[in-house]
Amino acid sequence: MLKRTDYLTKNYGKPDGWKLAAYEAAGGYRSARKALGMSKDAVIDEAKKAHVRGRGGAGFDCGVKWSFMPKESTKPHYLVINADEGEPGTFKDRTIMEQNPHSLIEGCIIGCYAIGAHACYIYVRDELHLSKERLWGAIAEAKAKGHLGARPFGKDYAVEIYVHTGAGAYICGEETALLNSLEGRRGEPRLKPPFPAQYGAFGCPSTVNNVETIAIMPTVFEIGGDAFSKLSELHGINDGGCRLFGVSGHVKNPGIFEAAVGLTLRELIFDLGGGVLDDRAIIGVIPGGSSCPIHKPDEIVDVAGDPRFEPYNGKSVLDLPLGVDTFRGIGSMLGTACAIVLSDAADPVLAYHNVMRFYRHESCGQCTPCREGMGWIERILDKIVAGTGTIEELDQLSDIANSVMGNTICAFGEGAAQPALAFVRRYRKELEDYVHNGGKNQTGTLTT
Amino acid sequence: MPTFKLDEREIPFEKGETIIQAAHRAGIDIPHYCWHPGLSVAANCRMCLVEIEPPPGRPAMMLDVLEWDADAQDYVPQKKPKLQPACQFQAGEGMVVHSEGSKNVKEARRAVQEMLLLNHPVDCPICDQAGECRLQDYWLEHQGSKKRMKDEPVHKPKAVVFGPTIVYDAERCIVCTRCIRFCDEVAGDSVLDLRERGNLNEVVLAPGRELDHDYTLMTEYVCPVGALTAVDFRFKARVWFLRSARTVCVGCATGCNAFLDFDPRDQKVYRHRPRENPDVNKYWMCDEGMLSYSRVHENRVLRAEIDGQTIEFERGLKKAAKLFKSADPDRTAIVLSAQHSNEDNFAMLVLARDYIGSGNVFVNGRPGGDSDEILRDADKNPNARGVVGLCTSAPPAPFKELATALAAGKFTHVLALGSDASDPDEVAAFEDCENLVLLTSHRGPLAAHADALLPACTWAEADGTFVNRTGIAQESERAIFPHGDSLPAWKLIAAFGRALGHSFGWTKLRHVRAAMAPDPGAEVAADAEAQSGAPA
Repeated sequence: MLKRTDYLTKNYGKPDGWKLAAYEAAGGYRSARKALGMSKDAVIDEAKKAHVRGRGGAGFDCGVKWSFMPKESTKPHYLVINADEGEPGTFKDRTIMEQNPHSLIEGCIIGCYAIGAHACYIYVRDELHLSKERLWGAIAEAKAKGHLGARPFGKDYAVEIYVHTGAGAYICGEETALLNSLEGRRGEPRLKPPFPAQYGAFGCPSTVNNVETIAIMPTVFEIGGDAFSKLSELHGINDGGCRLFGVSGHVKNPGIFEAAVGLTLRELIFDLGGGVLDDRAIIGVIPGGSSCPIHKPDEIVDVAGDPRFEPYNGKSVLDLPLGVDTFRGIGSMLGTACAIVLSDAADPVLAYHNVMRFYRHESCGQCTPCREGMGWIERILDKIVAGTGTIEELDQLSDIANSVMGNTICAFGEGAAQPALAFVRRYRKELEDYVHNGGKNQTGTLTT
Repeated sequence: MPTFKLDEREIPFEKGETIIQAAHRAGIDIPHYCWHPGLSVAANCRMCLVEIEPPPGRPAMMLDVLEWDADAQDYVPQKKPKLQPACQFQAGEGMVVHSEGSKNVKEARRAVQEMLLLNHPVDCPICDQAGECRLQDYWLEHQGSKKRMKDEPVHKPKAVVFGPTIVYDAERCIVCTRCIRFCDEVAGDSVLDLRERGNLNEVVLAPGRELDHDYTLMTEYVCPVGALTAVDFRFKARVWFLRSARTVCVGCATGCNAFLDFDPRDQKVYRHRPRENPDVNKYWMCDEGMLSYSRVHENRVLRAEIDGQTIEFERGLKKAAKLFKSADPDRTAIVLSAQHSNEDNFAMLVLARDYIGSGNVFVNGRPGGDSDEILRDADKNPNARGVVGLCTSAPPAPFKELATALAAGKFTHVLALGSDASDPDEVAAFEDCENLVLLTSHRGPLAAHADALLPACTWAEADGTFVNRTGIAQESERAIFPHGDSLPAWKLIAAFGRALGHSFGWTKLRHVRAAMAPDPGAEVAADAEAQSGAPA
């Protein structure tokens, strides 16, 4: 159900909307002030009530994650913000950093307090120059006002925030690779366990949160955790509040839209995205970043034996509310809730090739299945697209992806194997057309 | 001890141990490339994946995969369990682990093996690793199928000179990072790292550096494939023609356990490499020690020599003995060697004490050198402690005192084991020694002043016991047969004793050892055989 909200986006597009004055005029920094007057446990409890599922793609409950931090510790704690937004099709976090940076700064103060950290690192993707500039500006403004530093709001709880420029690799968005990169090491995922809550940044207990997850926290404390959660149609299955939805690809009005959780793909594409370009038919939708499986519009939700799915069974996947567990339940993934739409003007084989080329390029190469598997898949698709592939090689695609799935150090393996399997499963006929006819029955283009 | 089940076998483990560690100790090899018992866990090769049953009442973590049904011409969704790397996963009480017994594990290992060979040049005929390469072994054990990728593999730098000792081939490299971790964690010199990413990864040197620390050959030794090759061994031998003797390194007082690889056909030694011993050298050896084998074939004394002239052995022995026939025991010096085994030195002591009747016992050896906190000892002799232990009545006097005594004209006769000089500055004192007989394997600094040289075996040509710096007595096995006319030193000493007219009955090493038995020289009787293990 479409229910627009504007907690994060109310100042988007306004002149100087990213500045402290605009943020405070809209009630900013009251939540951090309030949170710093509460006990840490109460802050975590409030966050838990909000059921903010991690907005970076994994969908882990933020309050629960905070509660994993050790209560007693001889080492300093760190809050690390993952602002290395690099998932193809995902461009929501940069809008926050560019247009509402103070929400992130305020959220960081709350988050630091909740997990017992006095320092927060925001690891920003290098290419996001405006984001870094706006964050630096916001930090300076907040410090000048006394919201940040030795005594935020006069409270005896020091918080410092540092913006760290990323070193340019998709894998650095994986939280432990990010920590390595932050420490000046090669950006490769770490083995888990130990998890960051035990052994994170600089070997100290750390929590890594996505930008949007933290930026929404001031709203949670403004309206209360429970009230926030109830904004969502999926409040009953612990997927609370509102979030930023994105839509790109072949829609008339691509962009980032804030709405309550419960929105469907159809609403996102047609009501917010303005419908498909040239009013063409949809041949596929990737729900939330290229790591998620692509879906065809004629796919029907059919999850037996799970009462949560009773309202949706029999409906098109486009009418399933975009939630962490709803999409997980149908064997898909919500990811970052930034959908990519392919109209029938697009060639799914070329889209497949494009996605897999990305994963070959970005595999860090640390572990064997991903390092070699991605290269192999790309190579086969290179040949198929060039019209020199064989059916034998086409058959190998699922085999290779199966061998990558679950066998790697980090979730990149699944994130790459999922689209590899989803495309080949849904567009086998089109792939075969390339093998047999050089793709002459396909559109041969990715644009309309 | 708690246990877990691995393919129906109960495996005991210590708390904190990983599955692979416990299995390794129980003698079960879970296939692996990147794991090394002496290095940190990298879990990057994914060869050791195992299937672990979830705790009772908990569902297994399943993953969605696809199978192509050629008959139906459609994909069939399937589930497979999430596997775990045995090198990383800690063993737990009652855990049920499937390795060889799981079809999922078999398939995962097959896939990893296929992927590791995907861009590998498969240039086994010209690769030094051939015959002891994990890629070869595991292809047979875990893959056994043809290569499906028919295209040109990825090309990367080849024959990259990393330093004076090591050459790197990035195409053969499986990026297991063992060499990097060895440099970081054991050698303490972070000179290697990775560059690039994905299937373009390669190991590189730190900018402005060479691989030139004191343990560079270990990087080659820990490399499970042919990516790193040793300049010293490149293109010299096929490993399947080599045999290995379980030796003790004689490069310094540490006494690293080693394998001495030799070719029985030409009786040449080709390589010296570490043999696992947790009490001495763990899994490692230094470059100096690994290259010390070359001395077996260098600068040898292989024939008897009298006054610088080569002579038939028996005649040489007689002539040398003749020099000592009328020697005054009080003016005769006996020189033991810290380079030689307990057996050799014991024979020398018996000759001095029981037959010649001289109590003027000195000890010689190679001069001291560099040391570190890892393995290398400043004492470059393997048996200094053993020699001292054998001299129960009085400790042997140092080489320098012998030189002083010679300069003062105190000795007319010197019978020495070896031709080294612990103090090279004092060699001149031997110039005027009237009767200097050396039983020596090498042409050391004293050889030039000798009146007689009798050829002794190196440690590679004889069995012997060496007592290391911590007092551990370790046996070193003979690798090759004695070269030239050389004899094991104890045998040569016995022969010299007989030539002097004494009734030296020893003809076998066990005779010497039986005579030594009550001697407290060796504090710990270490069983070298029990310490031998397959390379990790």
